[in-house]
Amino acid sequence: MEQYIQGFSDKVIGLLRELPREEIAKAIDILQATYERDGRIYIFGNGGSLALATHWVSDFNKSVFRHHLDKHTRRFQAIRIPTTESELTAWANDVGFEMVFAGPLQNYIQDTDTVIAISSSGTSPNVIKAVEVAKRYKIPVIGLSGFDGGRLNELADAKILVATEPGQYELVESVHGVILHLISRYFTDYFDHIAAR
Amino acid sequence: MLIVRAPMRISFVGGGTDLSAFYTHSPGRVISTAIDKYVYVTINRPPLVRKVSARYAISELVDHPRELKNDRIREALLHLGILSNIDVGTFSDVPVKTGLGSSSSFSVALVKALLISQGKKADRGEIAELASHLEINLVKEPIGKQDQYAAAFGGFNIFQFNQDHSVDVIPTRLDFKRKSDFEGHLLLFFTGIARDASSVLTEQRANTERKLEVLKQMADSVLVFRDKLLAGDFEGLGKMLHEGWLLKKTLASNVSNPVIDDLYIAGMDAGAWGGKVLGAGGGGCLLFMAPIDAKPAIRGALKRVAEAHHLAEFSEIPFHFVQSGVEVLLNHEHTNQTISA
Repeated sequence: MEQYIQGFSDKVIGLLRELPREEIAKAIDILQATYERDGRIYIFGNGGSLALATHWVSDFNKSVFRHHLDKHTRRFQAIRIPTTESELTAWANDVGFEMVFAGPLQNYIQDTDTVIAISSSGTSPNVIKAVEVAKRYKIPVIGLSGFDGGRLNELADAKILVATEPGQYELVESVHGVILHLISRYFTDYFDHIAAR
Repeated sequence: MLIVRAPMRISFVGGGTDLSAFYTHSPGRVISTAIDKYVYVTINRPPLVRKVSARYAISELVDHPRELKNDRIREALLHLGILSNIDVGTFSDVPVKTGLGSSSSFSVALVKALLISQGKKADRGEIAELASHLEINLVKEPIGKQDQYAAAFGGFNIFQFNQDHSVDVIPTRLDFKRKSDFEGHLLLFFTGIARDASSVLTEQRANTERKLEVLKQMADSVLVFRDKLLAGDFEGLGKMLHEGWLLKKTLASNVSNPVIDDLYIAGMDAGAWGGKVLGAGGGGCLLFMAPIDAKPAIRGALKRVAEAHHLAEFSEIPFHFVQSGVEVLLNHEHTNQTISA
């Protein structure tokens, strides 16, 4: 048993050592620019990736200005789409599952915004469809993918690929969680820093 | 109504190597950052007003864009085939001709705004190229392409100008801590002398053939500057600015003048590591890099020299680096818009 646990954690550690640092830095710069132009961030994915998106949005919105929410007049909002389960099922039931992200995104999207798309395979048709909407509007796409990156990694501006064998969802999603936490923490630290200057 | 803004920029080293007279011989390079001073362009397409209006320092109202006095707006409208029912306005955080690249920031914001008003979406590289084409080929300014790229992309970048006229954008990724430490060592002053880049650059362009070695040295120093920045060697960066300024002064006779020299020497004597004139030279802004504890003395020294030279408009410009480039702030032009793939 110990060996099994060690095996899994060694794989995670290996991936953490190989984090795509340049692409994460690029993603942070994209988000910084989004903040400066008062844009919003939309994030989405399927299954565990949707859970990661929801987790990230709640962390980000709660903590990014946590030490000076009143002092900071400018806003920086992250929105998981669809925002409600009702909207998700309405799109899925009425139009089709491939539209559950692209449909809501099309209604939210403005020139100032940014998209974070999460797909371990990088091939989920509904994720790709929404990314294509973003590309059509020329708004930046941060893509978190795994395996060989798939179409998402090709389309994304910031190509955050956690490269693994196909099917290694647990590894990919675990590392995606670390990267998303890193991004939240960066901006929390940044706003603390500028509040102090 | 549509509002687009583009940032101005501070360039550190490599200025002048973005002129095609140089980079067609050997790759040019400039390292610069966008700052939180913006040029804003507003566009309105009034359906019932056939005339063309341009509002800047003055207000123009004409029947056809070819009658406009403002060369950038005139050439942009003619180039894009927008001949009627348009109202173009502009606002700026800093006066023009300060060496912060504001005229190219204007062109970049203008090009983006006009494209959007036509329902076209363009990426940053396309906007930078179109703004460069507008200024260099249509308005026939003797300038390079660094400012259009800096305004379109935003952030901290090296721009490499290749012999085939393509441009590589190489971001310098700095975390907030390094950025704010760097900002803390910089001081920016408007000398109070508005300058026209054209006269300096026309001479500089004519001298390019004779100055290839100096310019090559400047283009190479961009990479050294980046490495010192990533290592946090601020004193080394300050000294590089000083060396770059000395080199730049050899490129054209009017890069500096006695007033600029007095201001510069005052800053150096008060403890700055180095500095430079921003933009083509001859006036505009002065940038210094200095130890944090030398900043009050530098401020005092420059103020005294500026008063002695009766520079009424002399002032310090506080600033921060920004990541954003040309951006749409407001878009209510939807009735005219279709999204083309």
